[in-house]
Amino acid sequence: MFVLSFLARRLLQGFVIIFLVMFLIFTLLRVVPGDPVRLMAGGMAPEALIEQIATQMGLRDPILVQFGRYAAHVVQGDFGQSFVRPADGAATGGAAFNDASRSERAEVLTLVAQTAPRTFQLALTAILMALLISLPLGVAGGLYPGRWPDRLALYLGSIFVSLPNFWLGIVLILLLSVKLAWLPAIGYQGFAWTILPAFVLAIEMAPFMIRTLTVSVAQVMQEYFIAAGPVRGLSRSRVVLRHGLKNASVPLLNLLGVQFSMLLGGVLVVEYIFDYPGLGLLTINAVLQRDFPLIQGIAIITSAAFVLINIAVDLLATTIDPRLDY
Amino acid sequence: MASVDPALMGKLAMAPDRGRSLTRRVWAEAFRQPEFKIGLVVFLILFLLACFYPELSSIDPLKMNVRGRLLPPLFLGPNWSFTNPLGTDQLGRDMLLRCLVGLRYSFLIGVSTVIVMLLIGCTIGMVAGYKGGWISTILMRLTDAQLSIPMIILAIAILGVSRPTIPAIVLVLGLAGWPTYARVTRSVVMAESRKEFVRGAKVLGASDIRIMALLLAPLVLPPIVFVSVLDIARMMIFESILGFIGLGVQPPTPTFGNLIADGRKYLLNAWWIATMPGIFLCVTLTSVNLMGAALERARNRIFGGLA
Amino acid sequence: MEAPLLGVQGLNVDLALQSGRTRPILRDISFELPAKRTLGLIGASGAGKTVLAKALVNWIEQPLHITGGTIAWRGKDLLGDRQGFGRLRGSKIAYVGGNPAGTLDPTQTVGAQIVEKLLSVQPRTSRREAIEKAVDLLAAVRIPSPSQRFHEYPYQYSGGMMQRALIVDALISDPELLVADNVTQPLDVTVAAQILKLMRELTERFATAVVFVSSSLPVVADIADELLVLHEGRIVERQATRRLVSHPIHAYTQALIGELPTIWQGHGPAERPRGQTTEPLLSVSEVSKTYKVRKRDSFAGYNHVQAVRRANFDIFKGDNFGVVGESGCGKSSLMRLLTRLEPPDTGRIVFDGQDLATCGGSALQKLRRRLQLVLQDPFSSLPPRSPIGAIIEEPLRIHGLGGAKERRRQVRDVMGEVGLDATLIDELPAGLSAGQRQRVNVARAMILEPALLIMDETLSSLDQTEQTKLLNLFERLQAQHGFTYLFISHDLAMVRRVCSRIAVMYLGEIVELAANERLFFDPGHPYTKALLSAVPTLEERRYRPEDCLLEGEPPSPIDLPPGCSFASRCPSAFDRCRSQHPGLTARSSHDLAACFLVEPPRVAARETAGA
Repeated sequence: MFVLSFLARRLLQGFVIIFLVMFLIFTLLRVVPGDPVRLMAGGMAPEALIEQIATQMGLRDPILVQFGRYAAHVVQGDFGQSFVRPADGAATGGAAFNDASRSERAEVLTLVAQTAPRTFQLALTAILMALLISLPLGVAGGLYPGRWPDRLALYLGSIFVSLPNFWLGIVLILLLSVKLAWLPAIGYQGFAWTILPAFVLAIEMAPFMIRTLTVSVAQVMQEYFIAAGPVRGLSRSRVVLRHGLKNASVPLLNLLGVQFSMLLGGVLVVEYIFDYPGLGLLTINAVLQRDFPLIQGIAIITSAAFVLINIAVDLLATTIDPRLDY
Repeated sequence: MASVDPALMGKLAMAPDRGRSLTRRVWAEAFRQPEFKIGLVVFLILFLLACFYPELSSIDPLKMNVRGRLLPPLFLGPNWSFTNPLGTDQLGRDMLLRCLVGLRYSFLIGVSTVIVMLLIGCTIGMVAGYKGGWISTILMRLTDAQLSIPMIILAIAILGVSRPTIPAIVLVLGLAGWPTYARVTRSVVMAESRKEFVRGAKVLGASDIRIMALLLAPLVLPPIVFVSVLDIARMMIFESILGFIGLGVQPPTPTFGNLIADGRKYLLNAWWIATMPGIFLCVTLTSVNLMGAALERARNRIFGGLA
Repeated sequence: MEAPLLGVQGLNVDLALQSGRTRPILRDISFELPAKRTLGLIGASGAGKTVLAKALVNWIEQPLHITGGTIAWRGKDLLGDRQGFGRLRGSKIAYVGGNPAGTLDPTQTVGAQIVEKLLSVQPRTSRREAIEKAVDLLAAVRIPSPSQRFHEYPYQYSGGMMQRALIVDALISDPELLVADNVTQPLDVTVAAQILKLMRELTERFATAVVFVSSSLPVVADIADELLVLHEGRIVERQATRRLVSHPIHAYTQALIGELPTIWQGHGPAERPRGQTTEPLLSVSEVSKTYKVRKRDSFAGYNHVQAVRRANFDIFKGDNFGVVGESGCGKSSLMRLLTRLEPPDTGRIVFDGQDLATCGGSALQKLRRRLQLVLQDPFSSLPPRSPIGAIIEEPLRIHGLGGAKERRRQVRDVMGEVGLDATLIDELPAGLSAGQRQRVNVARAMILEPALLIMDETLSSLDQTEQTKLLNLFERLQAQHGFTYLFISHDLAMVRRVCSRIAVMYLGEIVELAANERLFFDPGHPYTKALLSAVPTLEERRYRPEDCLLEGEPPSPIDLPPGCSFASRCPSAFDRCRSQHPGLTARSSHDLAACFLVEPPRVAARETAGA
């Protein structure tokens, strides 16, 4: 019963969030200067033609009308078609704009479905790597505040957070891929191509995890029940492992939920550097080409993913700590 | 039965120096940590270099020098020279100078962005936290929405079409980043306004604005400002990402982003052009982050884990 | 001769200060405890009694250090064998502290943790045996439906219930010594009385020796065979309990006993005589407040918490009116309504001829000047960043009274009146003691020359000496300024001493309203009687807890049962009480109680009963 009512409430909230995202992105794209039709048709296209296409596409209607039309389609699961990408995959150049080919443009949903699994693989690998790095550092730092594990966590965290992801990507490509030829880097032909970009992302996420863990572990260790455990007759290691770490894991879980958007931002840059054909690369290209339907579609789908991930995180957190009530 | 939290009483009773301002104690506590000192020294050196070296040096960062093209940094290859300690780029421009000028822009943008975020975020968060109700609800949903799409998308989408001038970059990054501040401020204000002294002020008849400005702001803002030091570094990274994609301050003005983007093309035969600005940026940010982390710890110790 | 169960010889404990120096906490502590005996340990806060209790369970941590002496278990030194000491903990030596809510891991069920403990110290027990034993003991400490409660989490337990569970946790391994450190301190009096009774029963049943630590002499005297008095880290007196109470030897013990407030001796302040025509200063009629709290396990459901239910009373000028009740009885909600931090749902609060409930804007602002609140917690009630002078001046600024100089002068005057040194005017409150902080609060409240001062648990965080000083101050200020006081408190002894008229609240309801003398000596409501019976005192008790209080705790203010809300705990409840709700019934012209057993007033001579 609890789970059902929780889900119902959170999903409802989630719809509000998704709707807000949809609305914000939609208006933002249309308020900001830059005419997508001009980009599609190329600089050479006559003004009249552009107006004609724009009117045909409904881009000259009032924004609210456009939004209503779009929202109605989205509700039915129709995210529209890309402005620029043909159904076969590669992006079209703007100069060869040709009205007849409009019908063969790629479905936004198809484009996302093609790229999302690779990004998912990248993100999951990155999170696992980040946990691998930050768990030992953070826990040790939290258990011995002020001592060397804590200092190590602090220094490493400060250095990691100072590494610009794109630069780290370039340097790693140069070193590990070009000079030493240990790992492939550019493009995607298999899991090996995921490792380097995932590592860059892991380094980007790790400092936040380390900090959260250090703080939460240190805080839990101050709790009365940690000190009282040995007095009740439990061994110290049992208290730390079974009770301390369990309590300290909730903030880390919550961080994972919040870090989602940071991960996405990182994915954009990293996929761009590594030419990794995922959602991030798709997004960057969509933005640079002013491919409105694609940007909107990606934004809505990522915010839905954000909502779902956070519901999952909170659900998991309540099973760990039953006091929590979201 | 006694309603006073004994831990709190203990903490307050143990506070060693009576009456000294909390903010000053945070600084003092931070200064005691070696991390803070290391960060401060490195940062000061870089800061002073950025302020004075370009003026004092005889070289113009924009001036090309075809004969001195692609010189490697000190000791790291043939033909290095002391005049160009970090080497030169494909047009013979001095890398050290270009990095220092880049640092100026980066820092300027980082600091102003954080100020914009603080101003917007703290004001809205304060009102939402104190007033609660629908303002708070709207704020929470708005920040949720904003959290769910990476701010870099927003920035790219806007800067991709408008000309990326410094004010535009600051505004875009600031607008994208304020919700976090609003959230933090809101939660702290919510906790603080449940305290008795706020209740007391209400019974005395103090107006809401008075309570927010005179009672809550001096309590809530300093800890948040301490954390914002860490955000300066984050914003500097964002600025460099924008520059790298080509949406930052435009060349020929050197920024870390466009320096690295430039160098990427010469990665194989002149690795330093892309690498040096990165190391330079990383060292700068590490020094800022070390100070920030030390400040945050000091704050946690003094304010007792507020926020 | 056989070695005693526990022997402490010349124990010294020091506190290492940041400056590198050390401060002595315990000095030359020596005592012996034979098996099956109960030793009481009494001392003021800061006397080192908790440190001593912790030393007995090897819980001395940085920056504290044991610098000398021995602790012996059946003649065997423990301090030289810390591992052996560690093994005794939980198995032979058990500890129950004053922080029931924080002792168990909040993320695991109470039952699982009790079983975990038993299995840790007695690995040969099977899990099923352990569970059975735990459930049995939970039943023995009268936790309702124990096999179900076994699977609940700590946050689902109330404070009293948690303390019972911790007693189970301590005694489940059949220890020979139980160290009970301030176990009743966080609990309400009626609950504390139950816990004490339980501890007596159980330690007798299991033949456990007890070291019982408390800062309340009456509580310790109730349970211990023998008492140790700790003063500034040293044992200053040791005597059998009864002898110590009647013939204290050391000056400190004498002072300690001397300053204990008495309840049953002497007279409380009498009500001022008033004519028929006097208008009350504050008149509360039919005031109710219900809070909506979101239901945990539901989509959009709310629970309705009835915090204040149809409160009626009048306060006359110059009165000392008291509102007493245990935690959760609604007295804080009532305070929020009276100070108009929140409006009531229904009813009228007429102050100075105007209804606080409906008035707003500048009229409300005017009323606020005449009605002030002195807050409860001396630490969170002062804004930490403002100098003391500015804090006291603030009300004048808010109401735009006087020029800067004039205000400053007034601040100095008021500080002098409440006994604050004038040199403090530019200091921050950080360095002040609790008593000084409460003086700042009083000064801030009285600078506007209000007619009514509401004291919300103002004295509960202060020690006896400081309380007495402040009460004297209140009296003086009342004489000079003609204040009327409304004391909201859980402390019956304090109320007995200062209030002329007292309202007793239970579950949001005023169950009795009477003059001081009548309330204490002829209570009309069984709850009042129960409350009075549970107050720890050295005096001869007028009411025995055994007769006045059945087990159980107040029901939740959500979903209140029909009928009398006290019926579930009332020893004299009968059928009617469970179906019908007794309203406040007059027992005499002034005194009222909400009970079906109240006899209607007969003759005027009854008025003097008990006086």
